[in-house]
Amino acid sequence: MTTSRYDAILIGGGHNGLVAAAYLARAGRKVLVLEKRPVLGGAAVTEEIFPGFKFSVFSYVVSLLRPEIIRDLDLPRHGLQILPLESTVTPLENGDYLGSWADPDENRRELCRHSPRDAEAMSQFGRLMQHMAMAVKPILGMMPPDPTSLAPSDLAGMLKLGNHFRSLGPDRFHALFKLMTMSSADYLDEWYEFDPLKATKSASGIIGTFLGPRSPGSAYVLLHHYMGEIDGAFRAWGFQKGGTGAISEAIAGAARGHGAEIRTDAGVAQVVVRSGRVTGVALENGDEIEAPMVISGLDPRRTLLQLVEEKELPGDVVDAVKRFKFRGSSGKVNLALDGLPDLHCLPGAGPHLKGAISISPSLDYLERAYDDAKYGEFSRHPYMDVVIPSMIDPGMAPPGKHVMSIFVQYAPYNLNGGWNNDRREAFGDAVVNTLARYMPNLKDRILYRQVLTPADIERITGLSEGNIFQGELALHQLFFLRPVPAWAKYRTPIRGYWQCGAGTHPGGGIMGASGHLAARAILGER
Amino acid sequence: MPRVTSRHEPFWASADVGIESFDAIVIGAGINGLVAAAALGRAGRKVLVLERAERIGGQVRVEEFAPGFKAGSWSSDAGWVPPSIIETFNLKLDLVTPDVPLSVRGPAGSLALASDPGRLSETLRPLSRTDADRWPQFATRVHRVAGFLEALYQLPAIDIATTSLRELVALLGVGRRFRSLGREDMTEVLRILPMSIQELLDDWFETSLLKAALGVGGVQDLRQGPRSGGTAFVFLHHLTGAPLGSMRGRGYWRAGPDALVGALDERAKGYGVSIRSQAKVAQILVREDAVAGVMLETGEEIRASVVVSTADPATTLRGMVDPVWLDPEFLRAVGNIKYRGCTAFVLYAMERLPESLGGPDPLDGVVSLTTDLVSLERASDAAKYGAVSDHPHVEYIVPTARWPALAPPGKHVILARVQYAPYALGEGAEWDASASDRLGHVITTALERAHPEFEDRVLYRQVVTPRDLERRDGLTQGALSQGELTLDQILFMRPVPGWARHRMPIAGLYLGGSGTHPGPGIAGGAGWLAARAVLDDR
Repeated sequence: MTTSRYDAILIGGGHNGLVAAAYLARAGRKVLVLEKRPVLGGAAVTEEIFPGFKFSVFSYVVSLLRPEIIRDLDLPRHGLQILPLESTVTPLENGDYLGSWADPDENRRELCRHSPRDAEAMSQFGRLMQHMAMAVKPILGMMPPDPTSLAPSDLAGMLKLGNHFRSLGPDRFHALFKLMTMSSADYLDEWYEFDPLKATKSASGIIGTFLGPRSPGSAYVLLHHYMGEIDGAFRAWGFQKGGTGAISEAIAGAARGHGAEIRTDAGVAQVVVRSGRVTGVALENGDEIEAPMVISGLDPRRTLLQLVEEKELPGDVVDAVKRFKFRGSSGKVNLALDGLPDLHCLPGAGPHLKGAISISPSLDYLERAYDDAKYGEFSRHPYMDVVIPSMIDPGMAPPGKHVMSIFVQYAPYNLNGGWNNDRREAFGDAVVNTLARYMPNLKDRILYRQVLTPADIERITGLSEGNIFQGELALHQLFFLRPVPAWAKYRTPIRGYWQCGAGTHPGGGIMGASGHLAARAILGER
Repeated sequence: MPRVTSRHEPFWASADVGIESFDAIVIGAGINGLVAAAALGRAGRKVLVLERAERIGGQVRVEEFAPGFKAGSWSSDAGWVPPSIIETFNLKLDLVTPDVPLSVRGPAGSLALASDPGRLSETLRPLSRTDADRWPQFATRVHRVAGFLEALYQLPAIDIATTSLRELVALLGVGRRFRSLGREDMTEVLRILPMSIQELLDDWFETSLLKAALGVGGVQDLRQGPRSGGTAFVFLHHLTGAPLGSMRGRGYWRAGPDALVGALDERAKGYGVSIRSQAKVAQILVREDAVAGVMLETGEEIRASVVVSTADPATTLRGMVDPVWLDPEFLRAVGNIKYRGCTAFVLYAMERLPESLGGPDPLDGVVSLTTDLVSLERASDAAKYGAVSDHPHVEYIVPTARWPALAPPGKHVILARVQYAPYALGEGAEWDASASDRLGHVITTALERAHPEFEDRVLYRQVVTPRDLERRDGLTQGALSQGELTLDQILFMRPVPGWARHRMPIAGLYLGGSGTHPGPGIAGGAGWLAARAVLDDR
């Protein structure tokens, strides 16, 4: 038997797989990354969908990418360049707007216009969230200990965790507990009175989940999206120059720099297992590649139920993976525009078009959008997070023209009657029509339109049920329960088979932490 | 947050001859108040219980609502009385567990959930073989998890933040009860608690009727629907004290709905406790950061250095205490407690029961008219926007099937429990006579649909809205739970974070109602722990 050329094969050239590959290669391992698509990045890709118009097709903004990864992998040298996304404008139903600007004084004045009390509360709330994010940060960066296990490493982990909570002090611990269990609407109700402000803030608590702003558990997702604010790498949200695909390319560049080999158009059909141990992978084209270790960056369903045969896994693990909730809830509409649209409430090409436009006029609006989805329909009046990347990075569109990225919720994967071409276009129409209420000339500006439903996201990227986080960020699917109890530390029951996708702790959002922690777990093992 | 710990001589020790004085005053003569009073009396304290209503019992009061017809308890079962209370007060009460504590009826079919898991399995078999096979396993699993909650509920709320790491270890590490669950059930405890009841049930079962029957238990007195996180916890919470396999089956007191109230009343009086009804406390008197007594609505003052209030936290801390004695941050936390009563009741005095209401089993269980979880979720949707659904969840009991004496011979009482009837109606609407009448009509229609000729047999109907519950029983926003049972309002978060051990920031002031740990449905649990806190402090 010949010795294999690789120490490890990574399945999936998404950002987590690439991060893991880069760390393993940096540690001297011979690594091969296999990506089934012609482009790298998974859900973090840039593609020229229409001639001259480039889109961050799926995920479109960044803030969570871990600073230590940026440092360790020297990503700026490989092309990482984040352009700040500084403002958010929420058009209101009365024709006014609510702005959130980069300059704190301007921001305060704007909020004062709507509610002096909320302007007062804002800085205190911001401080609290910052503390909360700092309280959670070490947890996101730790290997999740299993509280039901008596293994020394788990007991030590629990002790570390206990000490961490204790060090927070009672007030912050309790605030964190509330954040973990409450709905974002209830949580924000304790601070603010101006409904559109609560709606806009709570919107980040529902992104990527099948929850409404009044669903318990959504406050945690709110925090998840606050994480980016604390690290100073790039405050708040930003764009990668060249689109999110350029982030993947930067990580891939770092990996290659350390000697990793990366192949695209190389879909893996199966992970080869012999006597409970991986021996390599079989590609869709029939080739087999041997390696003593295989790491899947795919989501738990594909990693554990599709790439390997059920019989290789204990029954309880199979059951647990089957129970794991994906429930994709969001869609994406990408528009190529002939020129800039006018906002009804703020006409002209002002600086606000360099930021986000949030269609979240009230909590009830968001909640009703969720109600539609609960019963298997897409929202008639959806929540939308709109950005125009070409305003910040002109290279994304031909001169004078623009690209608009619209993140839409809710579009349930399990649509009544299923998704088809007609339903997709109807969904696209609902999005454009709703947005046109706030941007009267939008329809005249549209040159091309790409509509992506969760079914499309699944078909193109492989993400099960189109869930952009590789599994819902619900409390019972986090930490030592992500993706399944007892297998949250990146291992699987099959020897030599590992997982490193966002379906593992700590979860999605172009954070890279899963890939990093998986690499650490793998390297620590030998 | 500064904590007030200073102690002072009891005010009454120095002056005010002629003003009555006690060691401790208990506000409210519900089960928690009576348990607290009896526990303090037993320890030799001179105790006075003050009840604002004419009769004692709180939410368990036998009162006439129509000539000759009496209502008993709002609750459909006796709740769970922790064993320490039964033992300490030597309560020898006969509890009846119905053979079929819960059944579902509707146009889509009906299902009787026998308390015997084997019998229920057989009932399920024609509907779904998988569900029939899984039932005993599910019953065992939830029984064990609820058993773990029982253990937690008999202890003061664990609080890792205010005490030591030892407590965290006690809970998660070496807590014998937790460990004894075994690894799989331990994981299940942690996994299930934040889930929605619908997710939990979808994991296990396929029969819609079964899921509907169980799902209702997860939203009891909650404004949320069955798809909301934390409702699996509520389901388990209400299973504490129930026999294995029995859903909604904690039974009822054979001697009458108020049997426990009567027994506790007798015990308390035996320990020298005085109980005054129609004595509404207007203010808790505080001198120099310590409780000095209470003032009644009539202006009468009574001295005591300890006050245990079983009124809800907002009523007590925002209604009875001068805010100057409390830290604004603390008051803000009290103001943030979510109550959101959403349960209404309709009482019917019946000439006879409709024939269709009978069946092979006795009528002493709960009958739910909700046959699928989607309609339950839709009913909750309306409440989010301050409206009552046209198709609310309705369940009923026939109290006279348990206790015939509640009605004249041959006649009956039906108590319908309704969700969701939100306390706060949207768009300026109020719970006035017409809103309440409309609700009564919706419920009567629902019952008529399930049982033809129902309406013809009704002699009298009374609607009790959350607003009525607030007026009648002083429950903030009509919340029977004295504070929603959501994950952010349990254990060390109940009633407010960091103040879960029944001691309030004013020396001598304690909370002992179901708005505190361990919460509603645990009969006397909070009162018992509050009394223990009082006794530990001396």
